[in-house]
Amino acid sequence: MTGKERIRTVIDHRSADRIALDFGGTNVTGMHCRVMAALRDHYGLDRHPVYVYEPGQMLGLMEDDLAEALGIDTIGCFAKEDSFGVPNEDWKEYTMPWGQTIMFPAKLADCLEMRDGNLYGYPCGDKSLPPSGEMPERCFFFSSIERQQGEIDDEKLNVEDNLQEYGDISDEGLAYWKQTIEKAAASGRAVCASLGGMALGDVARIISMAIREPRGIRSVAEWYMSMILRPDYIKEVFDRQSQIAIRNLEKINAVVGDKIDVVYVCGTDFGTQNSQFCSVETFRDLYLPYYQRMNDWIHANTNWKTFKHSCGAVFPFMESFIDCGFDIINPVQISATDMDPKTLKANFGDRITFWGGGVDTQHTLPFGTPDQIRDEVRRLCDIFGENGGFVFNTVHNIQANVPVENVVALMETLKEIRK
Amino acid sequence: MSELKEAIYKGNMIKAKAEVQAALDGGADPQQIIDESMIPAMEAIGKDFAEGRAFVPNLLLSARAMKACLEILKPLMMAENSTILGTVVIGTVKGDLHDIGKNLVAAMLEGRGFKVVNLGADVSKERFIEAARENNADIICLSALLTTTMGYMKEIVDAVREAGLSVKIMVGGAPLNAEYAASIGADGYSSNANEAVALAKSLMGA
Repeated sequence: MTGKERIRTVIDHRSADRIALDFGGTNVTGMHCRVMAALRDHYGLDRHPVYVYEPGQMLGLMEDDLAEALGIDTIGCFAKEDSFGVPNEDWKEYTMPWGQTIMFPAKLADCLEMRDGNLYGYPCGDKSLPPSGEMPERCFFFSSIERQQGEIDDEKLNVEDNLQEYGDISDEGLAYWKQTIEKAAASGRAVCASLGGMALGDVARIISMAIREPRGIRSVAEWYMSMILRPDYIKEVFDRQSQIAIRNLEKINAVVGDKIDVVYVCGTDFGTQNSQFCSVETFRDLYLPYYQRMNDWIHANTNWKTFKHSCGAVFPFMESFIDCGFDIINPVQISATDMDPKTLKANFGDRITFWGGGVDTQHTLPFGTPDQIRDEVRRLCDIFGENGGFVFNTVHNIQANVPVENVVALMETLKEIRK
Repeated sequence: MSELKEAIYKGNMIKAKAEVQAALDGGADPQQIIDESMIPAMEAIGKDFAEGRAFVPNLLLSARAMKACLEILKPLMMAENSTILGTVVIGTVKGDLHDIGKNLVAAMLEGRGFKVVNLGADVSKERFIEAARENNADIICLSALLTTTMGYMKEIVDAVREAGLSVKIMVGGAPLNAEYAASIGADGYSSNANEAVALAKSLMGA
């Protein structure tokens, strides 16, 4: 089976020749550049700095040689602009505070500024604007700096302001997707396209580092409170946003069609470690209709499978995610409350694909022993892998502090399981 | 008074402020307003949160209403003999900018009768020690969301002990648990804002 066939098979809830595997297919299933560099060294691959295509989380670009060495079944297609809004082009070496030399787009590398041990980045690389991202000392990625303009005045609140980052795709943008997706499809791996524009109320995007001059509700706390204070405003944002998204999907589908296998829809987190960000009733009122609208269009017009990411204790939302029309749920945070792998598989395993949940990244992967990792990976592959409906990935990206011997134990165990 | 309790419980900041002003105009004692309406309101929303009937947005709204009311009452209480359960210095540890959970813990502690000194995020061990000394703190409260920053908590605990401060240390954050807290020598762990109040009270011997 090719990677594409394997991924397609398991999402259809059938057993493939072996467990399907993703690393690097999306911005929530990747690797920190530090881990990626260590893996490249371990497998004796060409020595060059890792390309960091997503500076927010400092994710390394999964190149073909590493994908081959690991036996990865997916290939990611990402927006041209990175999380600072800088096009991923004109790569340039840059040395991070922890001493690793990586590749950044020159426009990003040139705008970065170190002050008092903290590294600052600017929206679209434009230093005439206030910084939008900060990497404090001892941190391994950038966090957004909230740039909401003062207190929210409900009288002046205009839905256009929270739609400023959404719009119709340009001819140039369409040509980019056509070229990127066609190239990826030629790999024989499953094409995972992060087309953008479909994330409903993702706080990471509400306070995006890419927006030059943010307007509207641009504070995480204010956005969460708005779910209660301003539900009609939120619904209007989602209504308009989902209409724009579908117009863009129509255009992209017309030029690439079945070359896309999986479309990354939304990364909004509905779970905390032990609880949820809203009730199931609120989810079904505020979010479900708009997710349904986008998923229904995709399923009626394409063969794409839809991917929903939500961290945390989302067991109470699983039925609703399925009702929304999502085909895939990620990252399957098995360390969160009520996220027991066997219960999840038994209750939802024939109706949604678990993309993740392969090893706990809060405890086992960073702090466990290689033996503990081997045991956990085998146990979870046994549970989730039965009758398809499972793509192996760690719970979220592999973080910067994971010892390389632990990552190697993970990868080698996967090779044994997938023989 | 029950109107005020309901306004804070529901997170209606404007109504809560108006109710506090009306109570003051009616001659109510600021400490009595806090004890009889505001703390019970925060206890009620905390209980609902713990039992899955309220969520982070509800806590944020109630905390905001409560803080707005405290801003009215605090200046009036300076002159009087206000009762506080204890003083807490709180912050997210160095290298970590996540502060929503930490701010909720701070608000719940404040709303339930503690004096809270919130140092913000990305806080060094030196800052924690300095603030604990300056404020004669009873408790230092540490938060971390990341597996890459939780390790710094041990450095803080060691530095606080070495500095000889007579202070309890409690920790929280998504990747932590009670075993980890014990392993770094912290005095307690709580998994959410409501539990944090109970833990702080027990550490104070209240």
